[in-house]
Amino acid sequence: MIKWKSLGTLAGLVLAALALMFGTTSMAQAADEGGGDDILKIGWAQDPQTLNPFVGLDEEDFTIWAINWDLLVNFDPVDLSPSPGIAESWEVSDDKKTITFKLPEGHKWSDGEPVTSEDVKWTLENLATEGELFTSYTNNVTSIETPDPQTVVIKTKKPDARIIGGLLIYILPEHIWGKVPKDELTTTYQPSLPLVGTGPFIVTEFDRGRIIEMDRNPEFAGDKPKLDQIQFIKYGNQDAVERALQLGEIDVDPEVSAATFDNLADKPDIGVVKSPSPSFTELAFNVCPESECPDAEFNPAIQDKAVRQAIAYSVDREKINEIANRGTSFVANGLLPSYYQDFYQEPEQTYPFDPEKANQILDDAGYTREGDGIRSKDGDELSFNLYVRSESPSNIQAAKLVAEMAREVGIEFKVEVVSVDKLTELTIRQENGKPAPAFDSFIWGWGGDAYDPSFLLSLMTTGEIGGSSDAFYSNPEYDKLFEEQAGSFDTEERKDTIRQMIDLLQEDVPYLVLSEDPNLQAYRTDRLGEVDVACPEGDGDLFCEQAGYEPLLSLTTTGGSDGSSDDDGGGGSGVLIAIIAVVVIAGVAFLVIRSRRRGGEALEEDEPAEGEEPMEEPEEPEEPAEDEK
Amino acid sequence: MSARWLTGKVAAAILTLVFVVIFNFFLFRVMGDPTTQLARLPQSTPDEIEKLKADYGLDKPLLGQFADNVGDTVRGDLGISQKSRQPVVDEILDALPWTLLLVGTGTLIATLLGSWMGVIAATRRGQKTDDAMLGFSMFTYASPEYWIGIILILVFAVWIPILPSGLQVTPGVEFSSWLAEAADVAEHLILPATAMTLMLLGQYFLIMRSSMVDVLTEDFITVKRATGQRWDRVVRKHAVPNALLPLVTLSAIQFGAVVGGAITIETIFSWPGLGELTFQAINDKDFPVLQGTFLIFSFGVILANLLADILYFYLDPRVQTK
Amino acid sequence: MRESGALKLLTDTWRGRFGVAVILVAVFVSIFGTLIAPYEPEASSLDVLQPPSLDHWLGTTESGADVFSQLLVGTRVSVLVGFAAAIISAVLGSMVGIASGYFGGWTDRILDALENWFLVIPTLPLMIVLARLLDPSLIVLIAVIGFTSWAGTGRIVRAQVLTLRERSFVERARALGAGDGYIIRTHILPNTLPLIFASTVLIIAVAILSEAALAFLGLGDPTRISWGTMLQNAFDSGAPSAGAWWYVIPPGLCITLLVLAVSLLGFLYEEYINPRLRRES
Repeated sequence: MIKWKSLGTLAGLVLAALALMFGTTSMAQAADEGGGDDILKIGWAQDPQTLNPFVGLDEEDFTIWAINWDLLVNFDPVDLSPSPGIAESWEVSDDKKTITFKLPEGHKWSDGEPVTSEDVKWTLENLATEGELFTSYTNNVTSIETPDPQTVVIKTKKPDARIIGGLLIYILPEHIWGKVPKDELTTTYQPSLPLVGTGPFIVTEFDRGRIIEMDRNPEFAGDKPKLDQIQFIKYGNQDAVERALQLGEIDVDPEVSAATFDNLADKPDIGVVKSPSPSFTELAFNVCPESECPDAEFNPAIQDKAVRQAIAYSVDREKINEIANRGTSFVANGLLPSYYQDFYQEPEQTYPFDPEKANQILDDAGYTREGDGIRSKDGDELSFNLYVRSESPSNIQAAKLVAEMAREVGIEFKVEVVSVDKLTELTIRQENGKPAPAFDSFIWGWGGDAYDPSFLLSLMTTGEIGGSSDAFYSNPEYDKLFEEQAGSFDTEERKDTIRQMIDLLQEDVPYLVLSEDPNLQAYRTDRLGEVDVACPEGDGDLFCEQAGYEPLLSLTTTGGSDGSSDDDGGGGSGVLIAIIAVVVIAGVAFLVIRSRRRGGEALEEDEPAEGEEPMEEPEEPEEPAEDEK
Repeated sequence: MSARWLTGKVAAAILTLVFVVIFNFFLFRVMGDPTTQLARLPQSTPDEIEKLKADYGLDKPLLGQFADNVGDTVRGDLGISQKSRQPVVDEILDALPWTLLLVGTGTLIATLLGSWMGVIAATRRGQKTDDAMLGFSMFTYASPEYWIGIILILVFAVWIPILPSGLQVTPGVEFSSWLAEAADVAEHLILPATAMTLMLLGQYFLIMRSSMVDVLTEDFITVKRATGQRWDRVVRKHAVPNALLPLVTLSAIQFGAVVGGAITIETIFSWPGLGELTFQAINDKDFPVLQGTFLIFSFGVILANLLADILYFYLDPRVQTK
Repeated sequence: MRESGALKLLTDTWRGRFGVAVILVAVFVSIFGTLIAPYEPEASSLDVLQPPSLDHWLGTTESGADVFSQLLVGTRVSVLVGFAAAIISAVLGSMVGIASGYFGGWTDRILDALENWFLVIPTLPLMIVLARLLDPSLIVLIAVIGFTSWAGTGRIVRAQVLTLRERSFVERARALGAGDGYIIRTHILPNTLPLIFASTVLIIAVAILSEAALAFLGLGDPTRISWGTMLQNAFDSGAPSAGAWWYVIPPGLCITLLVLAVSLLGFLYEEYINPRLRRES
């Protein structure tokens, strides 16, 4: 049978062990600070599930890849334009269908092997065909030739500017990845560590679900980074990340939520960065023409251009940004975010908030208000469903605001909150082998590539119907212009073509882009030195997330103050432990003395300190044991 | 007789487990459409889906899939995570020790503290101490454990930031010795284990209290008291050992609740155990992982019940003589 | 004394008074909450995560909505899910319990095994799995919680029916040629109802906690505010790290009070139908 005495002894042992442990905690931390390594700690809610780009799908995966590896052509940290990566220079043939890349001599992988054209060829032929996220980039490529180890010649069916400015395929070392069977690459393969690469830091430890450590690449071709190591620490939820930042446990929070952005900005020793990104949130309309989607289900009134234009005028995008996005986003004007500096122009038609105009357009188009205030024409009521994903509270709010505003001009939106699966199902629905989208409108978002706008622009091409297109827009003129810009290597010429495309979209309004969504980051001002946001310069983020690594080369953590914040924590809990220990010992002593004096009646006395202070709990059971003697 | 009883119990436990495996399979295959679950990219082409189906053996007939599934489960192969593409077993084994540490610590402290409080309260029935303890226990019993956890975070990690409130160990630190590392883990364990303790405390206290009350009114206690033995000695030597018995059963029944608590508590404290794994799988719709954690949770609870039965059998003289 | 006992327990003990008061308030608020709420519960504003003030008695949420209004409106889901799921569970539990106890034989063996199984399986993981497979909605939540929590009732009912079946009035009815349906309706059911009721009251508490836990894990009805979704939103939006106690504490406290009230009444009722328990406390 269990005896109180043994329980007491056990509790005593636990107490002793705990005391010993806490006593040594500060020592551990002291030893830890002694090394003087310059370590950057980045905390995030989710971590990559894999380092294998053949199977990785998540944003976090890209963050690591972009530091570990280079692209054939990197993004310039100043303006994201093409700059030397694996290739140091390139030449476009006169017919623009052959591009010759030159690789620098003496460039080495982190394991000392030379970087050669074979690496490029292997990667483009394999990752670009098997990697789930990389397949569309080489659609136009007909051949990849490697006349010598320093030369890669890529031939394409038609001119394709993306081969230079948007070939988002990380070049992998063929001498490692080429040896792995293909069916393993696309399923369970995990590369061994250190993860051989060409970037400034390479992954040396990957403890999935916990931590990723990236150490300096000894063979890195550029300037030697000041940091010794970067750690990515997974916390599982955003609240824990933000607590860790406030406690100084991490230096950078790369994905601050809009709700707490201002709050964090007000905290001492914390700086925040808001940078534009190639992503946006749109209100999409089902404009699928009869020929493409004979079985689509929607209220035909949504296909009336006048109605969509009136909706565009009736929606106050500034207000949506203010409320749904806490003012952290940028008001969008058209499909292309202003992030694309080289190609963006404010369109002529921007649909400023103007309910009067909206009313007038609807009046002119013959939609008259009925008793309930909703307009209709020939029995077609301007009443639409508006789907929105349950995951996104800000999208839900935006949807409600849209409904509220449109109501003012006599258009009804019925907001339907659904799971992402349900919304996907509605948009990719097919009947008899043809797309049959079943919605009037929805709110969702897209993210584009770092420099080249082709991906976002492609969303409105007829060719993407049945693919990525979810507004099912089809306009031969737009398609023609799309091909033209995609094949243009002249930035100015391309910018002009894109302007014409955006003007077409602004006229037809398949999407009403509501906001450009920024990257929100926060960091410890008492820890980071040489903070120099880039991508683009002066306006970008702390480490060119997913577009490069340039700022990481100069960034430092101010070694000295590292310890102090830790010390505060350790010292604080040490003091707490001491206080509690004193309280517990005093309490036990008191009870022992008292029970000796009063003998058997001790148990009748009123309550001892109970349950209030959780830290005391382990020690409590000692009391009866002492009593025993 | 005793051997037969034991065999019966073990057989029943195994049968329950077999049911879990069957249920698990059909639930996930029949209720959910595995193809839409597999296609994580919204625009997966039919080819990609076919490939995925083949990868996961979904192109076979249902019964064949079931046979595969059972065989794999028995061999300890719980499939491959859709998210990480790693064996689910590895993920579970990685997380299991942390859950055991948290659950073990919480249960141990809750048992000790709860039964101690129960004894105190029962011997002072109707007094202030009893009322206060009863009120406190009822409150913790009725409140959601993750809410208590969030309040602990608010108090000890935000207002008075003295305790770590996330992860199991200070990240990225090279420890000078295992002792230093253990100390660091212990420090991180304080808040989640406290939340776990507070969740379980009420039940243990209430059971111990009512069991003590029962025992204290029994004749043999009155007799002992009448013979002039010291009251606190009677309580310790005779009443407590007898009252402890129901606690054993409770520990097993509680295990189901413990598992539920582990999911929410680990989530808020970023404790990298099975609960957190489950939470991530919910968010990622990673059904193989969800299936795996459900299996391991069920297995744990069934095992705990079996152990409690056996323990009860050896502890309680009345069961043995029957 | 026995006749007025039930009422007396409710009005004369502080537990009874507390339980009744809280439940009355909760039911009232769940019906009229939308009318009393000072603000549209999901109306966002620019006052994000503001502490309590005269305008917002319990401060504002991460989207600038009024916490107090959300609390009032959120009562409905908790009460609705609690009661509806408990009723499903009571119906399922008593049906299985009666069938298994009354008919015996193979029916009993199979149903008893089923019951055992549901008793052993950890409920929250089971609910999670079911809720994740189905698209979360109020109906799904009620069904999932009801479906996973009936086994305890079934067990109690079965035991009671087993003893009732051997009682003389049942045997007499059977001897007189009464059908099974008739016996169940007139003899078995009336004598098991108090037990069913007692265990159902306690299941309400479990159901309220389960709804909150599922909602906290992101498996609640996305279109409705409940106390659980409030806690989820608070946690997801970083309210704890921002020190926003006014957003975190009230929903949990409401859950606790309602669960406490229901449990106290449940215990009181158990004491009432089983007076042996009464002397214990």
